[in-house]
Amino acid sequence: MALVTRAEGRMYLTPLVGFLLLFLGFPAIVNLIYSVSTVTFETLRSPVLSGFGNYVAVLNDREFWGSAWFSLRFGLLTALAECLIGLFLAIFLAPLLSKRPVLMAPLMLPLMVAPAMVGLMYRLVLHEFAGPVPYYLFEWFGDSPAFLDINNAFRTLVVVETLQWTPFAFLLFYMAYSAIPLDVREASSLDGASPLEIVRWIDLPLMKPTLVIAFFIRFIDGFRVFDNVYALTGSGAGGSTTSLSIYIYQAFFKEGAIGKAVAASVVLFLASFIVLHGLNRLAGRRKG
Amino acid sequence: MVRALRWIVFAIAVLAMNFPIIVTLITSLKSQRELSTNPGLWISQPTLDNYLEVLTQTSRFNIYAYLLNSTVAALIGTGLAIVLAFPAAYAIARSESGKRLVLPIVINLRAVPLIIFAIPLYMMYQWLGLLDTRIGLGLILTIVNAPLALVILVNAISDVPVELDEAAKVDGANSLQVMMMIVRPVIRPALVTTFIFGFITAWNEFLFGLMLTTSRAVPMTVGASFFFAASGGGVKWGTASAVMMLGALPPALLGLVMYRQISGSMTAGAVKG
Repeated sequence: MALVTRAEGRMYLTPLVGFLLLFLGFPAIVNLIYSVSTVTFETLRSPVLSGFGNYVAVLNDREFWGSAWFSLRFGLLTALAECLIGLFLAIFLAPLLSKRPVLMAPLMLPLMVAPAMVGLMYRLVLHEFAGPVPYYLFEWFGDSPAFLDINNAFRTLVVVETLQWTPFAFLLFYMAYSAIPLDVREASSLDGASPLEIVRWIDLPLMKPTLVIAFFIRFIDGFRVFDNVYALTGSGAGGSTTSLSIYIYQAFFKEGAIGKAVAASVVLFLASFIVLHGLNRLAGRRKG
Repeated sequence: MVRALRWIVFAIAVLAMNFPIIVTLITSLKSQRELSTNPGLWISQPTLDNYLEVLTQTSRFNIYAYLLNSTVAALIGTGLAIVLAFPAAYAIARSESGKRLVLPIVINLRAVPLIIFAIPLYMMYQWLGLLDTRIGLGLILTIVNAPLALVILVNAISDVPVELDEAAKVDGANSLQVMMMIVRPVIRPALVTTFIFGFITAWNEFLFGLMLTTSRAVPMTVGASFFFAASGGGVKWGTASAVMMLGALPPALLGLVMYRQISGSMTAGAVKG
């Protein structure tokens, strides 16, 4: 006697699947059609098929490649920094946290605040007259860099993103670290292994799956970044902080270049599909 | 010795990662006059004037409206996501349906940049008259929340012993009754966690709020940026800071109270994803 028959199972899945088809499946089809059409805000409902011109325009657009390069660098750098700092904090602070779990709360607080809001907050923090960071730098060193000009904006944003999302990597690593049975560590310490050796030869190998997953999650989130960058710099700083998401947003809302924006969306969709496909294959191989 | 070092590292980490929040809190408690002379991290004359101004002078920017919009949209986006995901999660955990296609696709959805769908959704909303409405924003937030809700609930239901379902079935209950009357009460904690986590996520969403609303349904994350629009004399940092503190408060409070459950659901989503 099956607990849930096939027909019942399908019935229970229908609301969710229907909703997703309406809100994501339909837009995906619209994307595909509009990306090979000529369309403006005036002719929104009657696109004219016109071949792959939009794709050619996007792939020949230096700004598109500039934003793709921004997203890639930003995703890789922030994911790497977040994982390294998060890993260090997870292992180094574990003895404190296991005794006083409440200390987790202030470490997790940054995750609860909207990235857009954090971006706005940094406008204040870094403001040349009202911000404490430039103020103290002037006070102590007599000079302060322009954090958001074309030369520094990228670095500033990497730091902003890293400070907010390191807690996420930290949290995953701390959970994985706490899940390692104590006797494994005790046994190796009886055999004369130093704390560092234990980390290197016991903890890290056991935490490897989590390390990989955390890196990918953070990379993907960094790659598609929008909120905090938009709130902090717009696409300002001479266009040096345009991520792919911001590129698409601007092509649509600022330039009204619907075809271009939609074609860029499809390119981004294909790119994330390829990355996810690879990731799933990787995960599947590990299980099998 | 090492213990002291751990405490120092902990303190530095907390201060550095929460630095923008600390600075904003301090700034929000300074008077307009003090702000122009003292951008430092101390307050010589703490005042609540900025909060009073934000909460009473609402003719230009009405913070109550933003807070209400965020609350309504986030409640829709979280409630609907759970209503849709719960039966689906039950089917996936207890039958062969959905395991091979629906679950993997929905999980991967979490990693797809949602901006890809933003433009067609914008046009669709224009046709349907859903632009700049709380319901419209809530429906989008449902999409944002659905993947994690599904993963958490599938995990929770899979942890419920099948014998429980079987016993109820023997007693003559059909699968709908089992789902609603046996499984639902048992996984109540997971439902609460999903709700809290979803609410925080929905509250903090920015991209769709920015694209799909203009005036009537503007959520807090977008509304906060209005206070930065220079009005003649530049940004009024005191009031802007008070707005940011008020806007960040609901999710931060929820998060601080429920941090244990939330850390569990974050890792659940991550490990299975």
